[in-house]
Amino acid sequence: MPDARLWLLWALTALLAATAARNPLYLFLLLLVVLLVGVTTAPSGRRRAALLPLRFAALAIPFAAFFNGLTGHLGDTVLLRLPAWLPLLGGPVTLESLAYGAINGLALTAILGAFTALNQAVPVRELVRLTPRAFHEAGVVLAVALTLVPQTAQTVARIRQAQAVRGHRLRGLRDWLPIYLPLLVSGLERALALAEAMVARGYGAVSERAQPLPLRAVLVVGLLGLSGGWLGWLLAPAWAGVAGGVMVGGGVLLLGAVALAGRAARCTRYRPRCWGIRETLAVLGCGLALAAALAGQPSLVYSPYPRLSWPPFDPWVGLGLLGLLTPALVGETGSERR
Amino acid sequence: MIRLEHLTFTYGGASAPALQDVTLEIPAGAFVLLAGPSGAGKSTLLRCLNGLVPHFSGGTLRGRIAVFGHDPVVEGPSALSRVVGFVFQNPEAQFVLDRVEDEVAFALENLAVPPAEMRARVTEALDLVGLTPLRDRLLETLSGGEKQRVAIAAALALRPRVLVLDEPTSQLDPQSAEEVLEALVRLNRELGLTVVLAEHRLERVLPYATQMIYLPALAAPLLSGPPRQVLQHVPDVPPVVALGRALGWDPLPLTVAESRVADRLSLIAYRLSPVADRASLIACRRSRVAYRGSRIAYRLSRIACCGARVAYRASRIACRGSRVAYRVLLIACRRWERPDRRRERGRWERHSTLRNRRQATRDTRYAICDMRYAIRDTRYAIRDTRYAIGDPRLTIRGLCFRYDQTPVLRDVSLEVAAGELVVLMGRNGAGKTTLLECIVGLLRPQAGTIALDGEPLLGRETADICRRVGYLPQLPDDLLFADTVAEELAVTLRNHGLLDRPPIAPDELLARLGLAELASAYPRDLSVGQRQRVALGAVTVTAPSLLLLDEPTRGMDYAAKAELLRLLRSWQAEGTGVLLVTHDVELAAQAADRVVLLEEGRVCADGTPVQVLTASPGFAPQLSQLFPGRGWLSVEDVLRGWKTACR
Repeated sequence: MPDARLWLLWALTALLAATAARNPLYLFLLLLVVLLVGVTTAPSGRRRAALLPLRFAALAIPFAAFFNGLTGHLGDTVLLRLPAWLPLLGGPVTLESLAYGAINGLALTAILGAFTALNQAVPVRELVRLTPRAFHEAGVVLAVALTLVPQTAQTVARIRQAQAVRGHRLRGLRDWLPIYLPLLVSGLERALALAEAMVARGYGAVSERAQPLPLRAVLVVGLLGLSGGWLGWLLAPAWAGVAGGVMVGGGVLLLGAVALAGRAARCTRYRPRCWGIRETLAVLGCGLALAAALAGQPSLVYSPYPRLSWPPFDPWVGLGLLGLLTPALVGETGSERR
Repeated sequence: MIRLEHLTFTYGGASAPALQDVTLEIPAGAFVLLAGPSGAGKSTLLRCLNGLVPHFSGGTLRGRIAVFGHDPVVEGPSALSRVVGFVFQNPEAQFVLDRVEDEVAFALENLAVPPAEMRARVTEALDLVGLTPLRDRLLETLSGGEKQRVAIAAALALRPRVLVLDEPTSQLDPQSAEEVLEALVRLNRELGLTVVLAEHRLERVLPYATQMIYLPALAAPLLSGPPRQVLQHVPDVPPVVALGRALGWDPLPLTVAESRVADRLSLIAYRLSPVADRASLIACRRSRVAYRGSRIAYRLSRIACCGARVAYRASRIACRGSRVAYRVLLIACRRWERPDRRRERGRWERHSTLRNRRQATRDTRYAICDMRYAIRDTRYAIRDTRYAIGDPRLTIRGLCFRYDQTPVLRDVSLEVAAGELVVLMGRNGAGKTTLLECIVGLLRPQAGTIALDGEPLLGRETADICRRVGYLPQLPDDLLFADTVAEELAVTLRNHGLLDRPPIAPDELLARLGLAELASAYPRDLSVGQRQRVALGAVTVTAPSLLLLDEPTRGMDYAAKAELLRLLRSWQAEGTGVLLVTHDVELAAQAADRVVLLEEGRVCADGTPVQVLTASPGFAPQLSQLFPGRGWLSVEDVLRGWKTACR
């Protein structure tokens, strides 16, 4: 089971790199990397889904190029001219604006590729488990809701079938009433049954304790500081520095209070996360890619205007981006060991 | 030890108490069977043991409860979870997470058990119920029995001293139920865990129970004690117990094995005399001949009845035909008359011509209507003729169905004759529900044919098929949404466009279903058996010629089952074919004309209940296990045979 925190870091690094880069060579490299990671880390049977961004690219790149070509009108290489009386579209259609649109489409595909890989590799419930311990109850509610989603879908299908055998046909909005009502009632019954089962299994036996008063006071002061500082920053520009300080102070207090509340929350985890060499390698890989995205800024930024030219390519930046391949190389990154 | 003293509990808003002056004692390490009819308060009593009643349910509680020194009313259900593990009827409704291990660990995480201890407890709990190999599996991939064992493991992880289970096997097939019960027996015998279990199917649990509590429906006193003692006073009992009571066996047998011993002792006398044995054989044959004779007589009377109906239909067709001819003649007369009148007379006659024309149009409409009725009568006549000559209502040939390349039904062929009750049995996942869904058009089979009264059904809409086929799905609550019971029937009629000309009068159907007094009640407020009957009414108000029932007796007590059986018999007598899916072997033995056994999507046995049920060890009723090879399935069969043998 992959560690959701590392996967989040990986996806955020890929997002940052794809947002920062407008050089098609790096974007293409990034797309290849995320696709490769997606295919190698997806569970067997869902590998084809990891190639979904390619289908998106087949639509997004031509569409972005076409749209930007029609509305951009910048660049020296004029391919054709649309009549000037056409609002927004009127003017020259240039090769450069088409290329810029295609680059944007490529960047979008790379972002989608990164999140598809994340989605394939990390189940949603693992992401839910990242909820801070102070918000443990909210995390449980979210986990229950996630379990309920497929069950609700099955219930809808079952009720539709049950109503169909009574001769019910779905034609208009009103015909959904025989589906909604049993769904609502069975949903309520299920929620009650689940609540009863959770109580019978001791849920809430230790967490009913209220947070200590000082902690609640810190939380309130932090919130007041944050909101007051923000208002001051907006309304009194002359006191912007002080307001900023109050806002930062409030934020720090708030984070501290959440951390303390998390420490006080009485719950444990069945699957503790262990840190090993693979996790370190994955973090180093992401760090390398992040460094490349930040340091290689001049070559990452490329503009086809005013005349289309071959984009620059720095091998070191390219190598840095290859750091994002680490999840594919180290296998089950961040396995949760028992 | 668990002790209840003068416990009385009334739900908020209820006029009568759900439990009245209950006093009982359960020793530590007991295996307790809690029995009683629906609505007697079994679930309420179980929920009192861990404080869900009154903490979760509300209501007024009087009396005293002590569970191993803890007071559930004072401490509440969350605190009691460490003493009392609770397992509900439907395992899926109590799962919070989606993986076996995570689900078992959930309660421990919330009680802040240290991780090392938590891992040990999860492993121990999974080991106790035999689920260690499945610890990494997703819950949705498990069978019903495995899911219920996960629920038990989740309760065991808290290391309770009592395990309370509310009908844990009611949704399971016999084999899965056996798996769950074996796990419970192991826990009871090896760990000394006190088990309190509510169950309708007593025959499943009686072999293991050390104590039985019977909660009667009315305000009669509760019975508690050794099962043998309590069963003497319980009205509805499993077949071996009923037989033991009828024959005066002492001690009363609870299991087939015990009955076998009693049976041997009683039979020694007549076994010694081969003449008596021979006599019994002759008598048995005679009774069989008499039975066959009565069946033939019944068939003949049915044919005669159908013949009369055919004759009646024919006379109606003739009558309709003559009316059509008369209308045609009238139209012709009016058309012939019209030009002359126009020529001879003035304006007044033109008006008369118009009137004639209108009348002619009306006559044409009537003629068309009569012709339609004649055609319908012809169709009915053909159907009755088919019925008279014994043509099947439902014919399935070579049916194949696959879910994503996984074959579910493989070359299934099956027939249900008019007035026949066929029971379809098989393990969970054998394809029984899939077969029913294919018949009503909810699923499209890849190969094969399905015909109702000779008309192919494949390719037709579900709503269209269900006008002639009544299909009752597993969960009747999915059907019910109207405000009253009567409205439920009206909804079906409206859906089929039959509201103004219902094939059966809804009031008549409600009376037949025993729901006449509940016509204005809210359907979801009724008991399980009553809701099942409302759903049955909702699918049979179109007077279908074939009835498909998918596990209709789940969660029903003996009385509700008997009521359902009576209804099915009355429909059968009118020529309705019934295909009934059930796991209840005793019901199958009692009700079926024919039993079909499905295994991995194939029909592996098809024959009379005696042929099929006695040949399949997993589906053999108690009495056929007790008297193998004699063809006795019900207590009446045995008593009849017994009397003959002893004569």
